[in-house]
Amino acid sequence: MIQRSEPRASPIGRVVATEQKPATPHQFHFWTATETSIGIGAIVKVDEGGRGKGEGGRVVYGVVTDGFAYSDLATPLHDVIGAEGDPARAGEAPAVRQEIRLWTAAVLRQMPEEPLQPVPLGEVHVATDADVALALRMDAYLHSAQPTAIPVGLYTSGGLEAPVYLDADFLLGPEAAHLNISGVSGLATKTSAVEFLLGGIFQHFPVHRGRVAAVCFNVKGPDLLFLDQAGSLDSDDRRRYERLGIPPTPFERVHYYAPFKADGVNLNTLRTHPDLTGAVEPLVWGLTEVLDFAEVLLNRDDIDAKADAFIDFLSDRVVRRDFDDGFGDTHHVETFADLERLFRSIFDGLENTARGDIWRTHHIATIRKVRNRLGNVSTRCKGLVTDDGPASDLPWGRFEDRAVYVLDVANVDPLGQDLVFARVVSKLREHLERRDLGVDAVVVFVDELNKYAPADGPDSYVKKMLLDISERGRYLGLVLFGAEQFRSQVHRRVVGNAGTQVFGRMDADELATPGYQVLSPAIKIKLATLPVGELMVRHPHFTQPIFIRFPRPPVLRGRDGVERFPPAEDRPFEDAVVLQLTRLDPKVRPNQVKDLIAGRDDRDVRRALGAVRRERPRDVFALFRKRLGTRVAADGPRDAAAVAPLDPIAEEPY
Amino acid sequence: MSDRREWLSRLYAEGVTPASFVPDASLGRRVDLDAALEPGAGVELLEDLELLVHPISRTEPPPGLAFLDGIQQWKVIGYDGVAPIALAHVAAAVRRLGPDRRAVTAASASRGLVLAPEPTWTPERRGIVAASGLEAVPVPAAPDQPAAAIEALRRAVHHERQSIEKRLGEAAVAELDPGQWLVVDGQLSVSATLARHPRTVGVIKSHGAQFLEGRHLERALTVPASHRTTVFRVLGGHGRTAVTSWYVRLWPWEGHDLHYGLLRVETRDSDTAIAQASTIAGWLVALRAPLAAPDARFDRLLYPIHDVETYLRSRAPGEVAGSTAGRLPRTGT
Repeated sequence: MIQRSEPRASPIGRVVATEQKPATPHQFHFWTATETSIGIGAIVKVDEGGRGKGEGGRVVYGVVTDGFAYSDLATPLHDVIGAEGDPARAGEAPAVRQEIRLWTAAVLRQMPEEPLQPVPLGEVHVATDADVALALRMDAYLHSAQPTAIPVGLYTSGGLEAPVYLDADFLLGPEAAHLNISGVSGLATKTSAVEFLLGGIFQHFPVHRGRVAAVCFNVKGPDLLFLDQAGSLDSDDRRRYERLGIPPTPFERVHYYAPFKADGVNLNTLRTHPDLTGAVEPLVWGLTEVLDFAEVLLNRDDIDAKADAFIDFLSDRVVRRDFDDGFGDTHHVETFADLERLFRSIFDGLENTARGDIWRTHHIATIRKVRNRLGNVSTRCKGLVTDDGPASDLPWGRFEDRAVYVLDVANVDPLGQDLVFARVVSKLREHLERRDLGVDAVVVFVDELNKYAPADGPDSYVKKMLLDISERGRYLGLVLFGAEQFRSQVHRRVVGNAGTQVFGRMDADELATPGYQVLSPAIKIKLATLPVGELMVRHPHFTQPIFIRFPRPPVLRGRDGVERFPPAEDRPFEDAVVLQLTRLDPKVRPNQVKDLIAGRDDRDVRRALGAVRRERPRDVFALFRKRLGTRVAADGPRDAAAVAPLDPIAEEPY
Repeated sequence: MSDRREWLSRLYAEGVTPASFVPDASLGRRVDLDAALEPGAGVELLEDLELLVHPISRTEPPPGLAFLDGIQQWKVIGYDGVAPIALAHVAAAVRRLGPDRRAVTAASASRGLVLAPEPTWTPERRGIVAASGLEAVPVPAAPDQPAAAIEALRRAVHHERQSIEKRLGEAAVAELDPGQWLVVDGQLSVSATLARHPRTVGVIKSHGAQFLEGRHLERALTVPASHRTTVFRVLGGHGRTAVTSWYVRLWPWEGHDLHYGLLRVETRDSDTAIAQASTIAGWLVALRAPLAAPDARFDRLLYPIHDVETYLRSRAPGEVAGSTAGRLPRTGT
């Protein structure tokens, strides 16, 4: 992957040291010709050269962090005098002043590393491919017996394009983990970089390190909805892919999940074009999936100790088991509808038996409060949370190696987004702890960390989860790839625990915050003007930030995707049901389905559809018909199966 | 001179008392020792009946203009009894303005010297100096008169600098392409080759030797800025080649000094000298910029000459300059 060292080239500069600007073990200065190919971020090599005294042989690698140009002009007034006050005449002088290009470089590596000494006043050379590998200490994981190198981009300077690799052990654990990427919005850098990097991980993650998958939360627009479709690449991009050893192909295995819209049959996603082969699976959860994450759905004011205790009671003693309500009825609670029936039974029982306000040590006010809040969940997260019927979930335990699981929650209520994130991450964690997820490591990509893990504001469940991943995920193989516009506004422990930090173009105000004090003014200027496709990377093996260029990801960008595959219009209920069944089994005849569901209650149809989706039978239509049951003539008013809408002001004083 | 410690130690072991004394004006700037006119020297007006002033206008210098200058650095490194022994570095360089108007070195030469009164040089000391790669230079001076000996050493260093400068200048003019000119910092008349070359210009910044007198001298020393004087012939006198000369003022002197911005220029003594005078003066006016500041002589020092000095000083061995900012107060004899 790395080319061998080229024949010794002419030096491009020479280290200089004065009392005012000495060379130190961590920094040095050198001058170059005024016309030089190097600039801020360039990697250089200082060769001591020996001098015939036996002390030579030391090689120091550095990265340029600042640059200065000046002439022998002592004061600007001398220039004014020389030009007799006329700026036009200054350019007419027959001679020009001697001037200097003086550069400051931060030491990347000294060889040998001990004893650590000031940088020798030697020749400065531009780094070759092999030098870049040594300077960034990539040799340890690039040329080892079991390489763990993941390409992250190309270091480019003066015509050189040298691959830069991250160490998988420090990107995906267990040594360090997590990646954080910052940058202003609208430059298609953050998402593109993560897509490119995921492609590199899938191609280069060593087999001996196990299986790896990615879970991406699509939180805005169509950003991540076309990862399986090829995007356009120019010849430069293709050359870069070749240099990095990554085939420029879209992801082979991508699984999309999205909740339903409120109608319960049309999916709430922009990936609905009929030509797209990769279908979007519904993401639907019921009471049992949601109850464990009640803390996500209920804010701090809702959850007091009493309500918390009652929810625990429901979770431990009631849900998914036969439960005697104490008034003569036995309940088996699986859905919100079942739970509502239990609540009504309790209220009726307390009223009819005049046993006061306490049921099983829980005050009726607490019970009403929990009923109220849980009831609202299925209303606010309609389409994601179902009142009744089976859930449709990620394939826990059957995650595929090098597959991407995209959860499209862009159009979901923020509460629903929080619920999806909390539950998915918790389940990932559970399965990774038990080592039964199907893969050994999962990359979780979360955009908009400013929103989910803000530095200020109250502690939310999601923030706690992100902190938990950041601090403990690497032991499990649960890796957070987070992105945000303003790094300074993300919780310090979330960004601080990211072993690899990536920066795109930064806002000048952001660069003025204390977190960037370690960067030189020149580096900040470069960051503020970074073109699309360039990044600054910090990685545990790199002692200084490195600028790299990465090719466009080989996938269709979200904006291009919706243009090429415009979202389909929402289908009428019958057509949507037909579509879902035919996706499961193309042999299903639409008219047969329409005849079957004509005049049937939508809730019954959705329930039957959910059951078919979950069981994936060989004969889809047969099971659908069986689950739907036979038509029974109504013989009177029927109890509402769903949670009755609540008027929190009129009915509930809690 | 890289093994300075070794050869100095051996020299000191030979009975030399260590010393470190940097005489005034020995760190690169030249001392004009030709202040006095030589016997037989004189002037002859060529252009006008009496010395007048002529306005000049800025003229673009020819491409490839080259500049010759030299430096001398020396310090006393020891005493044999009271006889001083000095280490000296003399160097000269020719730097030419390129198409990008930046100066690049066309030729350079340097010498490392150890100078001492003749009686001081024993065969052993000569051997030690020769082994170090330096040149031993016996100076005719009385070893028992240190003040006179130091003055003799100073003149010897000056002579060696002039010698290397002359040699380099003569080599440089031999390689000048047609149309190229060489500007020499100082008198052309020190070298017959330089003085007779059609495209050499001597630029003299110090005016110790006055060739004129009376109202002619007054007009020469009060010539206004961007004016030159009448061209006159400087008769060579003993050992010198005759040249044509004139004064030119680069900057207004009012409010400063009579010599402020005043140059005396020498060119070959030829029929074309009068015709060329205003053109060459126009070049020099153009060469006022960039200013040679912060050099104190910036009013007369052309930037390319300053550049040659800077170049030579940057290449001079640091040990000759010595420590001029020692912790102890500097003393001298």
